[in-house]
Amino acid sequence: MKPPVFDYQDPASVEEAVDVLARHGAAAKVLAGGQSLVPLLNLRLARPEVVVDINRIDALDYLTEESGWLRVGARVRQRRLEREGDVRRTVPLLAEAVRFVGHPQIRNRGTVCGSLAHADPAAELPAAAVAVGARLVAHSRSGIREIPAEEFFTGPLTTALRPDELLVEARFPCTGPDWGWAFLEVSNRHGDYALCGVAAGVRARDGRVQDARLAYAGAGPVPVRLRQAEVALVEHADLEEGIRAAAAEARRVLRPDGDLHASSEFRRHLAAVLTARALRLAWSRASTCSGGAHA
Amino acid sequence: MRIEGTETLHAPRDRVWALLDDPQALASCTPGMQELRPTGPDEFEAVLSIGIAAVRGTYKGKLRITERTPPERYAVQVEGTSGAGFVRAVGVLELEDQGAQTGVRWSGEVQVGGALTLGSRMIPGIARMLAGQFFQCLDRKLQEGSP
Amino acid sequence: MTTRWLGAPIKRNEDPRLLVGQGLFVDDVQLPGMLHAVVLRSPHAHARILRIDVRRALEHPDVLLVLTHADLPPSLREPLPKLIPHPDLKHHKTQYTLAPDKVRHVGEPVAFVVATSRYAAEDAAELIEVDYEPLPAVVDLEDAAAGRPALVHEDIGTNVAAHSVQRVGDYEAARARADLVLARRFVVDRGCASPMETRGVVAQWDPRARQLTVWDSTQAPIPIRNGLAALFGLAQKDVRVIAPDVGGGFGPKIMMFYPEEVLVPLAAMRLGRPVKWIEDRREHFVATNHERTQIHHAEIALDREGHILGVRTVFLHDAGAYIPYGLIVPIVAECTLPGPYRIPNYHAEFRAVFTNKTIVSPYRGAGRPHGVFVMERLLDLAARELGMDRAEIRRRNFIQPHEFPYDVGLIYQDNAPLVYDSGNYPAALERALEAVDYPRWPEEKARYRAQGRRVGLGFACYVEGSGIGPYEGCRVTVEPSGKVYVATGVGTQGQGHFTSLAQVVAEALGVDVRDVHVVTGDTGAFGWGTGTFASRAAVVAGSAVHLAAQAVRQKALQVAASLLEASPEDLELADGQVRVRGAPSRSVSLGEVARAANPLRGVIPSEWEGPGLEATRYFAPPRGTFSHGVHAALVEVDPETATLRFLRYVVVHDCGTILNPLILDGQIHGGVAQGIGGSFFERLVYDDSGQLLSGSFMDFHIPTAVEIPEIEVIHQETPSPLNPIGAKGAGEGGVIPVPALVAQAIEDALDDLELEILRMPLHPDALFELIQKATRRGS
Ligand SMILES: Cc1cc2nc3c(=O)[nH]c(=O)nc-3n(C[C@H](O)[C@H](O)[C@H](O)COP(=O)(O)OP(=O)(O)OC[C@H]3O[C@@H](n4cnc5c(N)ncnc54)[C@H](O)[C@@H]3O)c2cc1C
Repeated sequence: MKPPVFDYQDPASVEEAVDVLARHGAAAKVLAGGQSLVPLLNLRLARPEVVVDINRIDALDYLTEESGWLRVGARVRQRRLEREGDVRRTVPLLAEAVRFVGHPQIRNRGTVCGSLAHADPAAELPAAAVAVGARLVAHSRSGIREIPAEEFFTGPLTTALRPDELLVEARFPCTGPDWGWAFLEVSNRHGDYALCGVAAGVRARDGRVQDARLAYAGAGPVPVRLRQAEVALVEHADLEEGIRAAAAEARRVLRPDGDLHASSEFRRHLAAVLTARALRLAWSRASTCSGGAHA
Repeated sequence: MRIEGTETLHAPRDRVWALLDDPQALASCTPGMQELRPTGPDEFEAVLSIGIAAVRGTYKGKLRITERTPPERYAVQVEGTSGAGFVRAVGVLELEDQGAQTGVRWSGEVQVGGALTLGSRMIPGIARMLAGQFFQCLDRKLQEGSP
Repeated sequence: MTTRWLGAPIKRNEDPRLLVGQGLFVDDVQLPGMLHAVVLRSPHAHARILRIDVRRALEHPDVLLVLTHADLPPSLREPLPKLIPHPDLKHHKTQYTLAPDKVRHVGEPVAFVVATSRYAAEDAAELIEVDYEPLPAVVDLEDAAAGRPALVHEDIGTNVAAHSVQRVGDYEAARARADLVLARRFVVDRGCASPMETRGVVAQWDPRARQLTVWDSTQAPIPIRNGLAALFGLAQKDVRVIAPDVGGGFGPKIMMFYPEEVLVPLAAMRLGRPVKWIEDRREHFVATNHERTQIHHAEIALDREGHILGVRTVFLHDAGAYIPYGLIVPIVAECTLPGPYRIPNYHAEFRAVFTNKTIVSPYRGAGRPHGVFVMERLLDLAARELGMDRAEIRRRNFIQPHEFPYDVGLIYQDNAPLVYDSGNYPAALERALEAVDYPRWPEEKARYRAQGRRVGLGFACYVEGSGIGPYEGCRVTVEPSGKVYVATGVGTQGQGHFTSLAQVVAEALGVDVRDVHVVTGDTGAFGWGTGTFASRAAVVAGSAVHLAAQAVRQKALQVAASLLEASPEDLELADGQVRVRGAPSRSVSLGEVARAANPLRGVIPSEWEGPGLEATRYFAPPRGTFSHGVHAALVEVDPETATLRFLRYVVVHDCGTILNPLILDGQIHGGVAQGIGGSFFERLVYDDSGQLLSGSFMDFHIPTAVEIPEIEVIHQETPSPLNPIGAKGAGEGGVIPVPALVAQAIEDALDDLELEILRMPLHPDALFELIQKATRRGS
């Protein structure tokens, strides 16, 4: 388990980094926290000719709130989402979801953008990004573009990023105190990729669901947002009926693959169970204006 | 691992069949196919470079057409080896005449060995994605070629 | 004042060294000019090798040696040695150093590359071209037994390596008299030990001294030395095998030979440079032995009052691709099954079957968890059927304390009759039940239920065969410094021998335990012994240590008697001194005694039996000792997500005289964790083509501190009459009953579903399926 030979570059600026990417295209791979790339290198499943280490680019190390968006630079470690109090207030779902990513050791190194760029279908942060409607900022020599999270994930481990693009930032819309959020997942062991995970958000007004968000990890080749279920919640005057309808919708629509850990049937069942549990939790947070992430 | 799916190609069945029956056309639509050299009747040597994000490998192997029932059924067997392990797959295509369009029912039985087994949970999704790319390409060719 | 060392909760002598990173594991061995080796392994479960071309690898500038089967000396082209023969083992097929013409499991070594670095060696291994012709893989155990879909070893015309039957009484007759006969099919799936340190070997050949030195992460350094000497035509004295600090053994490292243990020394001798091979975790999953798969068709016959009239099990044992270690695991399984119960009529019959999977040899528990699972499950189901309390049915069948020695009527793994030496089975159960307040459990459970929680109570009883022969030895030396050096042949893999064996010596010689230095696992220090397995080190080596220390004590008394001009009977050993009882000012230090025992002039009295304060003794027990225990736990089940949480875990443990309760607790805690892992988390999942799908820690889920509950241990001490220290083995009791307990607890938690858990390990997906089926049945 030693990587094959590769070249190593560690640019100090975004400009330099995108130059290197432009030169090498698909033969280059960005190294952020290394928590997915380094194992792949050691297993020789990844064989880039050039590894482009972005850890020297100080300009990408920012976690700030700006005009209603939480901006997460590409060098921000996952751990900061749970440690910095503001995230709990601005995008509580992120603070909730990130606790399910591996273990503290992993989150101390792994980056938020790295997890999004890696696009594991069972990963938590991509599902959270889809749920809140994040936008991903890609930088290349030809300029900067913003990709909505739902268009970013195109397949297992596959995103809309081009080989010459660096994901420089992920932007998450901040939500108001009338929203409540919850992230729940089932994994056999704490810290594993989810057998199934659900990100849920509800906005409460006058004792009714006014708006809702539901997205799933581990329930398909990419994180899935279930609009029909969101609509069902809003349409039902009775909360429990709405929750039941949303859970049924999840069971009906999602078509996860089975694998060695869980059959497709079990995953669908979990999606329905977790939908209901996460919605109730989110609701309790919305209706008390407590946002989330207090567990 | 078994995977299956259905697609619709926007051309009559005879044209679809003609395209499938042309190894070079097939090769040009197979994701990552770099070389396809005939080595015998219905037998080819192939070099494929498949990259799913960071997981990228060059697979050398054989492709054999094991069944050909014009214009309905077509079966191939593929074997490839790379530094990351091996892939063996049997694929079956069934074409259904739908007038101006053709329905395709496809299924594959995929087996992997070596380090690739560590990614087994993602293989059905990846195979489906690659199959999707393959059929989109075929469809594009069919539409380009249509009068 | 004399300090009691034996039985004291002393912190481990070795820990300061290990905790600051001063341990010596095989990968810590760094030698000048050292080369690095890599094994090219089969990616196929079953295939013929048509062609191997190593030319491109040899052209790699950093490569010094590439070996295939054809390049081996004749003695290494043969299958590796048969370890433990048995009359019922008709086809004792053993593995090859490098596969000649066929590979039989994923991970089987095909070629061996030595280069200047591990990186280069891995690069070069990729350049080796091997053409395989894949053959149908023999994966399913029942199919394999029927010879489907292929033969693992064609030349023997069958996949069945052995068929073996043991009988006590007449099961058929008992069955005919029974009020209740209950039969089920039980499945235990594959598992593996996952020690923190994988295997590794470093070898150095000194051509001038003609000395081969091998560092090997093994549980059996002395047998390895003897085997290497034979394979390479060297004198045993010219081969030194060192098992330095070993980062966990758990059984698989007792196996010999793993091919690398031969290849690395061979390469070092060929190249005249030291060679290192460290197994990586990917290799470990397929190249280090597994265990566990068995399928039992078991039956129990009882009378109306729940007395067992007889038990029968007919089972298949998955041996993997070869069977070097013989029939130990299935024999231990059938011999552990009767457990603490009186079973007048017993029929045990098994077939050991080849499959295209990694080789099977003992892994912590080694058949015991299987036997206990089957027996405890049969009793649980019988109790349910008879409408009887599950504790009561056990009480009615326990062997009573006055019945020891108790002859079970079987022949055990050491070829000796299975005779329990001592124990108190009823007391252990009552203590466990008291600890979890069993009498009040129904109310407690109802209370949980009222909160919407599903909590089950499970408990399971077991007897653990341990401490078997043939022998171990020990040399105890007191140096003039007053420090005591102890050398024994058993290796140590984290069990705390540097402390527990030191305690035995400290107790005998009245010295501080920190002044006792134990060396284990270095054939240069002690050359006789067999190894650390079957929970035997404390018992067998511990007894040898005791005998040697007692001999040194006698000699110290003799020598000191002349120094102090007193009679030996009036002397005592304490605080590193020999002193006249009642006159503490008349004393000499043990160091001075040692110096006096090795004079430069004068005469050594014949009763000293030689110079120095030193003695070597051996201990050869007539047969094994039998520990026992009961585990009880409260397990919460989330029936919607099919996941578990352990709320409480209690172990009542009896392993005779306790040498060090801290170390013992550590053994039990680790065992329970491994047992929980093997019951609900860790799974070796194969696909139909014999590929291991869960071959990394991403998919093989070793439980962590989050999943493992606090473990409460209650010690019971029923000494063994079979050895001078009264000890019994303690290495495996933590693991053995866990699957049985987990099954019972889940059934209890979901009792309205009337589940029958007949398979282990479970995992959420399997539990979900069971719950679904039961719910469908119910509705
Ligand atoms: C033991 C363990 C447990 C884990 N458990 C979980 C879990 O439960 N859930 C989970 O979601 N993840 C888990 N992970 C993965 C972890 O979250 C990774 O950190 C994450 O997937 C990748 O982030 P990284 O910064 O480490 O990226 P890297 O490993 O450095 O890179 C990953 C991939 O993304 C690309 N990439 C990274 N950053 C950029 C960028 N800015 N622009 C373009 N491409 C980029 C790389 O080229 C590479 O292809 C686990 C990892 C380990 C080792």
